[in-house]
Amino acid sequence: MLGIRRISPNRWHKKKNWILFAIFLFLVFVRISKGSYYKDLYYFISRPFWPGQFQKEIVLESIDQEYLMKLNLLKKDNLRLRQILSLQESSNNENISAVVISRKTGSWWRQIILNKGSKDGVEIGNIVIGPGGLLGRVKDTSLFTSSVTLVTSPESKLGVWVDRIQVNGLLVGLGDDYPSLILYSKDADIKVGDFVSSSPASTLLPSNIPIGIVQSIDETLKSKKTAKISLLAKPHVIDWVQILKVDI
Amino acid sequence: MGANFESRYLMYKFFSKKLSIISFIFIPIIFLWHPSWLGFLGVQPYWPLFWLLPWSMINGSINGLIFGLFLGLILDSLTLDDSFTQIPGLIFCGFLFGRVKLHSDNLVGHFRYGLICSFGSFLCGSFYFLQIIFRNFSDSNFLILIPSLKNILAQVFLTGFFAPFICSQLLKMFKFSRRKLN
Repeated sequence: MLGIRRISPNRWHKKKNWILFAIFLFLVFVRISKGSYYKDLYYFISRPFWPGQFQKEIVLESIDQEYLMKLNLLKKDNLRLRQILSLQESSNNENISAVVISRKTGSWWRQIILNKGSKDGVEIGNIVIGPGGLLGRVKDTSLFTSSVTLVTSPESKLGVWVDRIQVNGLLVGLGDDYPSLILYSKDADIKVGDFVSSSPASTLLPSNIPIGIVQSIDETLKSKKTAKISLLAKPHVIDWVQILKVDI
Repeated sequence: MGANFESRYLMYKFFSKKLSIISFIFIPIIFLWHPSWLGFLGVQPYWPLFWLLPWSMINGSINGLIFGLFLGLILDSLTLDDSFTQIPGLIFCGFLFGRVKLHSDNLVGHFRYGLICSFGSFLCGSFYFLQIIFRNFSDSNFLILIPSLKNILAQVFLTGFFAPFICSQLLKMFKFSRRKLN
């Protein structure tokens, strides 16, 4: 009356056989693949619970603290030596703290807009640094804002210094997150991991501002060497920056 | 009471008439805002096309061309790259979008917006890329090639993805605005 169609026992038996056969095939597949997919699945499921991740964070935090202490010691040393040599002390009076109010770090345009402008004394050509090092230069100011061309912008070309081999180079933005370092000498012994800072010879930047680390080297060109630089300051996450008003 | 009602009615009338212009103001704002959570590979959809498509479809090619130029001028002023401009791409898109006819089937219409905006985004991206190539021809243009291609493809995908939602809403809004005018 209700129209329930009963599956005959024989048909159900056949269906069950097919299910069992399918499971059997699946298990054969698991056996042949030596459970690799199963293990991969487990890898992803168990990943949040790995003890190593947590340990890694603790270790990194300790390393950070160690570096901070070393930095403080070096700062004190620097101050003491400057006093001995009667050199002028660098002051922080000319630094302006600013907030990033607009950020274009992907796509064609590589720029940030800060909440400090000509009203606060920001001038075109001022240097902008963030946690890690150099971010870019002020290209344009309005009364309340200033626009910064990032070092990753194709418009950006800066003189830099590779400290280990004591060589000057040109840092050119390519429109992605890794600007290119061009060394106009085929013999320059640059290596992955070399530290890049602003050049003492640069007319645009004060010297010794950390910029990045060599990530990969391209030696295919005949007359020059190029390297990809991983920046220390990450413009896509930094919210607070410092504008340096330094006379070079 | 009567005066209050009248002023509110006039305000409502003004806003409903000027909906398209009010929404136009939001393009540079969203372009500057650059919400990273809407991005893909760090790239954003090409926002001006979402406004330009319904505007040109309703007002025709010439209007599209003019407002493409306006948009290009505003957006160029917000970016720091003096050597490159977005104007040619937007003018071309404005003109092209004006030739597109409204479709009676809503569903087909939605997908069409996606396809048209993707194509427009590809055109604008290519125009911009050609300028970069032309400018850096003597230097190391091959280094710029890969990130630029990534930019174009990600932008095409995102613009096509969001266009059906945004363009259809804007089109409705603009139609409503025009109805009030007549």
